[in-house]
Amino acid sequence: MNNGEKDAARFGHTALPPEQQRALRKAVKWEWITIIFLAVSTFLVYLVLGNSQAMKAAWIEDMLSFLPPISFLVATRVIRRRPSESHPYGYHRAVGVAHLVAAVALVVMGGYLLVDSGLKLVTAEHPTIGGITLLGNTFWLGWLMVLAMLLTAGPPVVLGIIKMKLAKTLHDKVLYADADMNKADWMTALSAAVGVLGIGMGLWWADSVAALIISTSILHDGIKNLRGAIGGLTDTRARTYDDSEPHPLGERIDAYLQSLPWVREARSRVRDEGHVFHIESFVVPRKWPGATLRRIEKAREACVGMDWKAQDMVIVPVTVLPEEFLPGLTQGGGEYR
Amino acid sequence: MLRIHEVVPWLLLLLGLSSCGIAIPQDPEGTLERVSGGTLRVGVSENAEWVQLPASGDPEGIEPELVEEFADTLDAGIEWVQGTEHELADDLHHGELDLAIGGFGADTPWIKDAGITRPYTETTDERGKTVKHVMLVPLGENAFLLKLDQFLQAQEVQL
Repeated sequence: MNNGEKDAARFGHTALPPEQQRALRKAVKWEWITIIFLAVSTFLVYLVLGNSQAMKAAWIEDMLSFLPPISFLVATRVIRRRPSESHPYGYHRAVGVAHLVAAVALVVMGGYLLVDSGLKLVTAEHPTIGGITLLGNTFWLGWLMVLAMLLTAGPPVVLGIIKMKLAKTLHDKVLYADADMNKADWMTALSAAVGVLGIGMGLWWADSVAALIISTSILHDGIKNLRGAIGGLTDTRARTYDDSEPHPLGERIDAYLQSLPWVREARSRVRDEGHVFHIESFVVPRKWPGATLRRIEKAREACVGMDWKAQDMVIVPVTVLPEEFLPGLTQGGGEYR
Repeated sequence: MLRIHEVVPWLLLLLGLSSCGIAIPQDPEGTLERVSGGTLRVGVSENAEWVQLPASGDPEGIEPELVEEFADTLDAGIEWVQGTEHELADDLHHGELDLAIGGFGADTPWIKDAGITRPYTETTDERGKTVKHVMLVPLGENAFLLKLDQFLQAQEVQL
């Protein structure tokens, strides 16, 4: 089988169906909007940062929020390249690398902030927030902090909801991770605001507790993403865009192949290359002459036609399904259950 | 993860408390309340025209004068405590002083032991570097700090 050569013209992003092309253009636009919003909000929060640990945690989370959109934009450029002699599978893994980079940053910062805030709580460090003079009036800086947090709480949620839909259409896990973080951002902002109000009420510990909550949420995001990114890079079975379940495409392809009259048995293994899947289907023909090259090619074209993600696919005719490539075979075919 | 139903009660509690007439910010250790009509414990460390310590009598200079005026607004007497910067920072940290002066700059290394006011004036040192002048206060006594900030920002400090 040498499908790679024939596929070369359709592999890569040029082969995206119209729906996905639209989604990709929209996703790029919304990621730029996200970056612009983040630039404004980090600057705003930086101006009123002061001595609050919760504000510091919220600000660092804002800074980290730059990573997913930037990785997404870089990755979408890289994967546009066509497969080459040195990269026969294409550049789709760039998405996984971007995902990993963003996840590691989240874990490191979340862990650091957790320890830092915990220490502040243990050493009973009282956060100091004094006055600020604006237009000849000196008032408590904490009010500005609360205002900044409330102003920056809403927009990311909207961005998150929009990008979440696009992530599903594009089967893009970086975009999903980004949208997920944005959607949870209002809790960070609100926790920081509550922490600062707590300081205002003389509850010095409220700030550290709010910071602990925020850093836990950063760490939680990080670990979740790290797991997903490593899973993708180490060839876990392809899962849906939100990692909630095995992707149904594998089951559909198996069902289709098994339904062909010349096929006795068929099983596939599917890995996620980033946006698209790499699929190897093993087929046992009823009788060897039945598996003509024409039939195999037709079956392959039908499978590829099922989903835009299924372009890099090979069908391997075999006499017996190979247990070593299809683990779980003897346990009654649990691969896609 | 924090959910909306976990956050809302806290916000309501805070709103409720603040509408019950609690002024924000408050001092965790009640400094402003204690010194008002009482005694302000001020640490002094000699530093050029900012703090001068004559052989007898009260400290003189730009900052002691400011502090005396501030104490008047609180109807407070002053207890002067002389020490090195290190001693003053340590006393602030342990709640044994309410305020420390000594020509401190905003880039003071005592930031771990004490809170600082907003800069109330700026000078240029002999190396051409701008020094923003501040006073040191106990960490986290935010009502007291805000009161002092409001007083200092309203002053025209002549050099």
